[in-house]
Amino acid sequence: MRCFNSLLTSKPGISPALVFRWVANRFSLALWCVGLAGALTAPAAEPEPLTRDGRLKFSPVFRDGGREVVFVELVNPSLYQIRRLVLADGSDRPLHTVSPTSEFEPASSADGECYAFLKTRGALSVSIVVRNTQEGELGEILPAEGFCGYRAPALAPDHSRLAFAYAEQGKQQIYSARLNGDDRKQLTDARGISNWPAYSPDGRSIVFGSSRDGDFEIYRMNADGTEVRRLTESPFQDIRPRFSPDGKRIAFTSHRDGNAEIYVMQADGSAARRVTQSFDRDDYPDWHPDGQRLVIVSERGGKHDLYLVNVPR
Amino acid sequence: MLDVGAFRAHTCGGVSRRSFLRLAGSVPLALGLSGGAARASQAVKAKSVIFVFLWGAPSHLDTCDPKPDAPSEYRGPFGVIPTRTPGVFFTELLPRIASRSDRFSLVRTHVTTAPGHPDAGTVALTGFAETPVPVKPNFGSIVGKFRGEPGALPPFFSIARGVVMDGGRRIEGYGGGTLSQAYDPFLVGCSETGEVEFPALHLLDELSPLRIQDRRRLLAQLDTARRRVEQGGRGAWTRNVQSAYDLLLDPAARQAFDLTRESEATRARYGYTTFGQSSLLARRLVEAGVPYVQLNYSRHVEALNPGFEFGWDTHIYNFELLQDQLCPILDRAFSSLLDDLYERGLIDDTLVVMMGEFGRTPKISPRAARDHWPACYFSIWAGGGVQPGRVIGSSDKLGQHPRGEGISPLMVGTTIAQLAGMDTQARAEMNVLGGGKVIDALL
Repeated sequence: MRCFNSLLTSKPGISPALVFRWVANRFSLALWCVGLAGALTAPAAEPEPLTRDGRLKFSPVFRDGGREVVFVELVNPSLYQIRRLVLADGSDRPLHTVSPTSEFEPASSADGECYAFLKTRGALSVSIVVRNTQEGELGEILPAEGFCGYRAPALAPDHSRLAFAYAEQGKQQIYSARLNGDDRKQLTDARGISNWPAYSPDGRSIVFGSSRDGDFEIYRMNADGTEVRRLTESPFQDIRPRFSPDGKRIAFTSHRDGNAEIYVMQADGSAARRVTQSFDRDDYPDWHPDGQRLVIVSERGGKHDLYLVNVPR
Repeated sequence: MLDVGAFRAHTCGGVSRRSFLRLAGSVPLALGLSGGAARASQAVKAKSVIFVFLWGAPSHLDTCDPKPDAPSEYRGPFGVIPTRTPGVFFTELLPRIASRSDRFSLVRTHVTTAPGHPDAGTVALTGFAETPVPVKPNFGSIVGKFRGEPGALPPFFSIARGVVMDGGRRIEGYGGGTLSQAYDPFLVGCSETGEVEFPALHLLDELSPLRIQDRRRLLAQLDTARRRVEQGGRGAWTRNVQSAYDLLLDPAARQAFDLTRESEATRARYGYTTFGQSSLLARRLVEAGVPYVQLNYSRHVEALNPGFEFGWDTHIYNFELLQDQLCPILDRAFSSLLDDLYERGLIDDTLVVMMGEFGRTPKISPRAARDHWPACYFSIWAGGGVQPGRVIGSSDKLGQHPRGEGISPLMVGTTIAQLAGMDTQARAEMNVLGGGKVIDALL
């Protein structure tokens, strides 16, 4: 009742529709909790933990046909490190034996031949590094002078190009370029923050998040930036989209039900349903190559660990 | 069980856990001092203070003072959620704190005089500029001197893995200032797993791992170290070490640092992050009677800078860092700290203040982030004589300036001191916080 009173006295400028939506979302969550919600919110089985050390983790990505996961860990208070978890034996070690500065946001091509990541070069200065798993470094896209950094690299399936986010003139847009940084093309031209590009398996589409319409929503466009379509609509963050291996579904993180949970929707934005349910944060989904599971980071029990989540068909 | 050196220890639950307590010579001289001006010049409403310092400066628009109707170049990408305070909204990044707004009051009209981190840090912690030197004392030094140390514990703790810094430069107002180094904080570091260390002096580096209960061995090693240091001419060493020795051999003092005495549920509630477990340590120190704890979110300001802890200085990636890391960690730990203080009946006697050294630019920067903004920022106040559920002042429609008179860091320090029992006369007698006014609207 107290919360409702606060809504009734909301300040000018907060639209009644937004307030109604917020109440409706939380009411929906309450319904779910007592088992009255419909099939669209049916949860999968309890996630399976892949790590148990609890250290801060981010951005897990499957590699090597799903046999390993690379992810980012805050290994000390000043260093993000990309680590490699082998699922068969649970071994976990740094991806790069020498990584004196922070490396984060890894991305892998679908065939596993190439990968990219962000690397801190100096104070608030972050480049993109692209490597071939056999031949070594293919290129490094350097930031501009001063405080500057790239964000969220994503490799095209044939690793002919790289998509990424970059901020200029107060807006953050999606770009693509060759792996050495040449032939840079701006794919979006919108206000706000655009981020988390991810290619479809056929390389013809890119899904991404953007705040162009107010808050973060999921959008899809052709790989050349044409035909942008909005796929989600909620008053809270919808972020980090990833195409399923068959290209028919998209996993993403949403705060629509009160905290960060993982959702899966059809590639056209329809039939979104929640696949995790936790009081704590579930975030950073990435598809296993079998298309039936996701790796996520969950904060269950106050720890940050990797989990495998089954995705109902 | 706590020990000196690096070795295995057992938690109260029997689980083997690595415990690493490094005794360092940074123990302030205050440990050897008497209770100072420990008289209650008025009713003490805040027996303890936890000053949560969001070093690096969080964006007020993206946290506790959103402007959802501002143009997109100001507003930011986050949704807003109602709090429990009628008419007050936060961004969606702080849902747990928002749902506890009936337990705290919010100030949205802070202003400071300095635009850079080191100088603004000094103003935030002392109320005054860093020149002329010597700087004025940290609020914690003032309260610590006034209240005196509780038993073997120092009266002023700063939880961080060292003196808080901006790059290679420390905050000049970190410690005793004009009151002398005797009133510097006692530095305590805490890891994400709850391992506690005293980082500033590593004068006992030569100590081999040993159990603290083995007093004879510890004393022998201390004596050896003392002789070596005295030969080096460091005259204050003896008192420091003796004070630290007293601290470590006092069972109650030792227990304050031992987070393994908490239940797993309690530790998980705060989150296994450096700030989460540090927040739990702060609560334990308050429970042990420490008058003032400065709980630092980070030792450094920079968000992404090789070799530095990640703070709130988000000149790039402001929105990503807030949503991915900074706000989730803060939301969990701070809301749990409030709940814990309430549930243990500590909140009435414990003042909690949370703020940065300034705000961040309301207008989104060319790098789609936010830069420094000293003209408007926020703070949160709970317990210790503060009336909860209030909102003090408001910022203008873009969050650029307070509507009406701004509230300065000097007023923050004066209000803290007042609630800790130092009235105008007591402050004048100590010659501190001159010209400061109490934020009456909080009381």
